[in-house]
Amino acid sequence: MEALNNLMYGFSIALEPINLFYVFAGVFAGTVIGMLPGLGPISALALMIPLTFGMEPSSGLILMAGVYYGAIFGGSTSSILLNAPGVAGTVATSFDGYPMAKQGMAGKALAIAAYASFIGGTVSIIFLMMVAPLLGRVAVSFGPAEYFSLMVLGLTAVVSLSDKSLVKGLIAAVVGVMISIMGIDLQTGTERFTFGTVHLLDGIEFLVVALGIFALAEVFYMLLKGGGGKEQPRNAIGSLKLSKSEVKDIAAPIGRSSILGFFTGVLPGAGATIGSFLGYSMEKRLAKDGDTFGKGNIKGVAAPESANNAACTGSFVPLLTLGVPGSGSTAVLLGALLVMGVSPGPAMLVDRPDVFWGVVASMYLGNIFLLVLNLPLIPLIAKILDMPRPLLLSLILIFCMIGVYGMSFSVFDLLLLLGFGLLGLGMRLFGFPAAPLILALILGAIMEESMRRALQISGGDWSIFIDKPISMWLLIIAALSLMLPLVKQAIKLAKARS
Amino acid sequence: MTRLNSNQVIALLLALLAVGYLAMAWQIPSFPLPRPIDSDLFPKVLGFTLLGLSVLLFLEKPKAQDVPEALDPEEQQQPLLLRPWSRVVVTAISLAVYAVLLVPVGFVLTSVGLVFGLAAYYGYRRHWINLATAVGVVLALYLTMTRVMGVYLPTGVLPI
Repeated sequence: MEALNNLMYGFSIALEPINLFYVFAGVFAGTVIGMLPGLGPISALALMIPLTFGMEPSSGLILMAGVYYGAIFGGSTSSILLNAPGVAGTVATSFDGYPMAKQGMAGKALAIAAYASFIGGTVSIIFLMMVAPLLGRVAVSFGPAEYFSLMVLGLTAVVSLSDKSLVKGLIAAVVGVMISIMGIDLQTGTERFTFGTVHLLDGIEFLVVALGIFALAEVFYMLLKGGGGKEQPRNAIGSLKLSKSEVKDIAAPIGRSSILGFFTGVLPGAGATIGSFLGYSMEKRLAKDGDTFGKGNIKGVAAPESANNAACTGSFVPLLTLGVPGSGSTAVLLGALLVMGVSPGPAMLVDRPDVFWGVVASMYLGNIFLLVLNLPLIPLIAKILDMPRPLLLSLILIFCMIGVYGMSFSVFDLLLLLGFGLLGLGMRLFGFPAAPLILALILGAIMEESMRRALQISGGDWSIFIDKPISMWLLIIAALSLMLPLVKQAIKLAKARS
Repeated sequence: MTRLNSNQVIALLLALLAVGYLAMAWQIPSFPLPRPIDSDLFPKVLGFTLLGLSVLLFLEKPKAQDVPEALDPEEQQQPLLLRPWSRVVVTAISLAVYAVLLVPVGFVLTSVGLVFGLAAYYGYRRHWINLATAVGVVLALYLTMTRVMGVYLPTGVLPI
């Protein structure tokens, strides 16, 4: 009953005309940006942050949340029409979505993606409403030692679950923490790694790094791979209608994948990509016609689409209740919230219920917007994919530049942005994952603060991190998560031998 | 002596970075009052961790994903300025020039120049559409930022 009252309160905020506009604008912008091959939710979120300057925190987060799940939804369109997923979380959608498009059923695949995203999103919001306050109550008892261990777990989980080298993931995370602690140490007032320049006294803004490592690096990568002048042909869309038997076929996979997706999203480091692959492989195993997966099976579109949207909502649980993001995208969201002066965490449910419940309610509305507006508009929105690539790339560049300049009014930051763009390109070319860097950048300074507070409480005794049971278990899980890639490799080797 | 692979080259660079970082960490001044841990501890832990990880990277064999894919041979045959790496270099230089000129010349002129110039350089030949898009988008951005959001953008030589 309390949750229902809170939700009603949330709706009273989300239904304010200005917030309704932000939900719509966020979902629409996210869909458009997420659709562009290469630009995922992290780039979309980073590009939209400058628009939230001076906004009410609840409105800002409503806009950003809309961009996030809009980008996941938009990614499915380029997956289906071009076989070029805009977002990693929609790669699994292309396995069957693109073959369907080649068979002249692109409209059907897009409609399934829209319905599945809607149901996945809506089911997971119900879970979010139930789980988040419970977790928030547990998290109130967390002290600095527990927070430090939780952040260590968040980082190791993101590193170990990325498909790239474990060592390179850890290096990216360490570099991210190094960047985060540049500037004046707030506890002692000491300057650290400022190279004697006043521009670095406040450290490096995370938006500079996020836009550089993701959006700018992506433009450089496209230029390198010949994306400058080449256009990809896209499939015609065709009818969006589904038959009764098709609806019946996809109902169960959508239900199962929605629940699976939500819980995958809650786990630190997992998220839309892993959720969608798990949903896809689960349905492939369960389906009687599993052998037709990969050849245009409608369940192969429904499962990953419901799972990725559900995971996207699930990833809000650790962000909103613990204040610790579990993925690169939610790290950028946290950065945006911090810019707006809101620190998510267990206290937020009590101190800023308007932000928490406003966002939850806006998610219901956002999912309805996604379905009602985007479905009929998809043929129109998809025309963005026909935009000449050279023009598109130069526009993305200007959005990055103005985003940074509009925040800091600093030419130095523009040059830093360029530097991070080139660093991002190098990371991409040599197999360094970028998500751990951005997550570490957001968590680094808070992690150091928690560690120092914990040590101050214990008088410098490091055993505080293992004396507290929750902290100890979090550290054990963090250590185990680093073993995961080794275990996977061992299983692979054993399989290869047998 | 065998040639170093890409992981080993990167590992050596990172090790150098870690050593430099540690040297700087040792120069962080101590806080006058005694504290359980000071400002230099965390950076030192990070520096040593990076050093250790560079050793591990040096020993790790690069997989396919750790080596840049070969570039399109057709693109490599193009005139020097249009080759893939040239596109990246020219874009990076243009962005640096944009950053430097932004304040003296103004947001509108530099931004229109950047969008139009780079799109044309990347191969977009419909110049009028290019110019109209560049002017339209930049003006829309400028007016939204300055008039709606109250964000100051440099006017430069234009009186707007």
